Amino acid sequence: MATRKFRFYFLRVIFLVASFVPRRLTLSGIQFENNCEVGVFSKLTNAYCLVAIGGSENFYSAFEAELADAIPVVKTSIGGTRIIGRLCVGNKNGLLLPHTTTDQELQHMRNCLPDQVVVQRIDERLSALGNCISCNDHVALTHPDLDKETEEFIADVLGVEVFRQTIAGNILVGSYCAFSNRGGLVHPHTSVEDLDELSTLLQVPLVAGTVNRGSEVIAAGMTVNDWTAFCGSDTTATELSVIESVFKLREGQPTAIVEDMRKSLIDSYV
Amino acid sequence: MVQYNFKKITVVPPGKDFIDIILSRTQRQTPTVVHKGYAISRIRQFYMRKVRYSQQNFYEKLSTIIDEFPRLDDIHPFYGDLLHVLYNKDHYKLALGQINTSRNIIAKISKDYLRLLKYGDSLYRCKCLKVAALGRMCTVVKRISPSLAYLEQIRQHMARLPSIDPNTRTVLICGYPNVGKSSFMNKVTRADVDVQPYAFTTKSLFVGHTDYKYLRYQVIDTPGILDRPFEDRNIIEMCSITALAHLRAAVLFFLDISGSCGYSISQQAALFHSIKSLFMNKPLVIVCNKTDLQPLEGLSEDDMKLVMEMKAEAMKTITQAGGPNEEGVLLTMSTLTDDGVMAVKNAACERLLEQRVDVKMKSKKMMDCLNRFHVAVPKPRDNKERPVCIPQAVLEARANAAAKEKKKLEKDIENENGGAGVYSASLKKRYILANDEWKEDILPEILDGHNVADFLDPDILVRCEELEREEGLRLEEQAAEDAFQIDGHELTQEQKEILAQIRKKKALLIQEHRMKKRTAESRPIVPRKFDKDRKFTTDRMGRQLSSMGVDPSAAMNRARSQSRGRKRERSVSRAAADGDGMEIDGQQSNKKLRLTSRSRSRSRAPEEVIPGEGFKDSEQKKKAIKKAKAATRNRNKDARRGEADRVIPTLKPKHLFSGKRTLGKTSRR
Repeated sequence: MATRKFRFYFLRVIFLVASFVPRRLTLSGIQFENNCEVGVFSKLTNAYCLVAIGGSENFYSAFEAELADAIPVVKTSIGGTRIIGRLCVGNKNGLLLPHTTTDQELQHMRNCLPDQVVVQRIDERLSALGNCISCNDHVALTHPDLDKETEEFIADVLGVEVFRQTIAGNILVGSYCAFSNRGGLVHPHTSVEDLDELSTLLQVPLVAGTVNRGSEVIAAGMTVNDWTAFCGSDTTATELSVIESVFKLREGQPTAIVEDMRKSLIDSYV
Repeated sequence: MVQYNFKKITVVPPGKDFIDIILSRTQRQTPTVVHKGYAISRIRQFYMRKVRYSQQNFYEKLSTIIDEFPRLDDIHPFYGDLLHVLYNKDHYKLALGQINTSRNIIAKISKDYLRLLKYGDSLYRCKCLKVAALGRMCTVVKRISPSLAYLEQIRQHMARLPSIDPNTRTVLICGYPNVGKSSFMNKVTRADVDVQPYAFTTKSLFVGHTDYKYLRYQVIDTPGILDRPFEDRNIIEMCSITALAHLRAAVLFFLDISGSCGYSISQQAALFHSIKSLFMNKPLVIVCNKTDLQPLEGLSEDDMKLVMEMKAEAMKTITQAGGPNEEGVLLTMSTLTDDGVMAVKNAACERLLEQRVDVKMKSKKMMDCLNRFHVAVPKPRDNKERPVCIPQAVLEARANAAAKEKKKLEKDIENENGGAGVYSASLKKRYILANDEWKEDILPEILDGHNVADFLDPDILVRCEELEREEGLRLEEQAAEDAFQIDGHELTQEQKEILAQIRKKKALLIQEHRMKKRTAESRPIVPRKFDKDRKFTTDRMGRQLSSMGVDPSAAMNRARSQSRGRKRERSVSRAAADGDGMEIDGQQSNKKLRLTSRSRSRSRAPEEVIPGEGFKDSEQKKKAIKKAKAATRNRNKDARRGEADRVIPTLKPKHLFSGKRTLGKTSRR
């Protein structure tokens, strides 16, 4: 493993004792060891799901129950850490891992994932790839300072168009937005114009919102693919309904946000 | 947002206990021993400390009481009025005022006595002053003990008040006693309020919570109100009135149209009109309850008229943007049969939400949140299709969701195998490999000092094949080239053969060299262990040299090992040394030969040192050796006794100084 020291773009991470409260069928509110930042400890795509190795199997089983029939749910660490969701980026075509990934972890992931998924370790200085890159199966948004080489890797391995962007002035695009092929949720301070621009780039409907009772770090608080979303168990009913509508889960439609839910949203935000 | 939680007020001890607490703490926390003989300043300080310490404790204790009890003027007017209704504001303020005064008096007493203590001239007088000071402080506290008892009662009562947030979405239920308010409360929330068939079952406010459209509403059940002048109302009714007056809530006015509560519709209508002013600016819903006993349509004309009058009034309470809306103002339900209960709840919540949204839409804060209510819909930027990717398995599972049996999850396996911390799941369980038997195989990490992963290549077989193919091609090319040419003209058959031989030999040499290079890492001389075939012998060299016509003996001698073994038979025998040695290099003396012979060196005298190695003579070398020895000698680091240590000899050895001294002993000793 490389021993070079690079700057890490990490979120606050707390490890405590495990507990888990299942909430809904396709939209689950869960915790990892008493921490609601589930997006930090997991990576969900349309072809596979990575889950951190925890003290108990509760967190893993929450994913397993929903997904195991359709896609492989893989327990792994990256570079010996559990914050895998913030370190790697992937979609149904491939998986990019930071240079901190050990050879054994790389081999483990290659063994677990189907052959169509290309697993690639890249030498990017900004090693928290999950914080710097956000993507669905067709488009990726990246940190503006990413290497040219990495950009090429993203385009080749993940098979996506790459756009260097910021979200509401934040360069960590991977942390402040989450989107699937059906919709996306971005930082609550994103202006209307930015929303429209991003939506045109990504070609999915977008909404500015929060998770985990007002947390702005969307991607840390939730993880989503085309048919499932997992949110931290702090997420409120209003937040859940926004997520449900914008990601079109369970017959939700994004238009519901401006129609049915408008009043509830106004009363809870203002 | 201010949280109204009166549960955290510290206990107020009764006056007697209060004194005991302070005095015993003073006793415990200050010094207790003093003597007459101490310097007077010390004695004074001793007693001053006691007085000051008790005063500080009194002050702290009384201050916490004053600080922790809410100030009725500062809290939300709803709570202010509720506390006034329940405990009487004047009494409450008086009690707190008394405590404040006594706090000041105690401070003053302490100040006075401290000043007196400064002039205390004996222990006795100082002690008397201290006793007097503490005594007066205690008397002051004893005097406020009724106030303390009163405050403690209030504290206990306040801790049991429901935690109502005056600013959140609230639905308020009011009406005559026994009209079904609490039953409704139990239907829509999980508050579990006591329901009994007599008036004033509910004696105070109760709070429950319900959900509507992703939002949480607090539902407040109030005690029944009778229609009588404001001054005559009792405390229980006043709780309801306070809530109605101060909470910005949706109000449900319950009407028992069957009259089974003991009050006629006209009486209830009269109450409605008398408290009408409290409904201003609030969404009001008139709920006709107990339709199972008496449907609304079956009412007499007079009663119907009264109900309609109330409805007309109710529509006037808030001015809505789209004119008065008749929907959801008059509703019927039966808490017994659950008819229309949810409709009532939804209507109330909806109207409240509408009103709150209307107000909020006008606020400035709305502008900051506009982006939150915007759904950005993508404009097409190219003709590329971006399909959604949902596996078939998911769609199928969704189609027959009902038929899904429970899977055995990793969690269940964990619980069966000893629970978290005991069970450790294999990470290899779900590997997708060509052969399932490979799953548990151990993959070496380091092999022959190399990281296996560095050499790992998923397409190693394909590449190997490719390389082999390339090699074959190259060989073919070489064969073609074997019809070689030098300097542009054909060679004769003989020349070709010679050239082929040369090349063959060259290739052999190169190959051999490469082999050597690989094994010995290209060190110039091949050590014996690599020269497995023992090809490079001195004899061979000798043979080769003699075949070239050179005398090999000198070269062979040089090549021979200079070191001699210890075995006797290998040492030079005296006769041989005498004879052959003399013959070979005649001038070498016998003695010198003996000296150079290592096998003799052991028996040499220790002081005999052979000069050499750059030393002038053996003298110099000895010196050098001595110095080297001294330098390498281990220093005494075990803290053992050494010669440099200071020693105190036994100055008076006991055997010399004990015992009787008889004649002549001293001298002998």
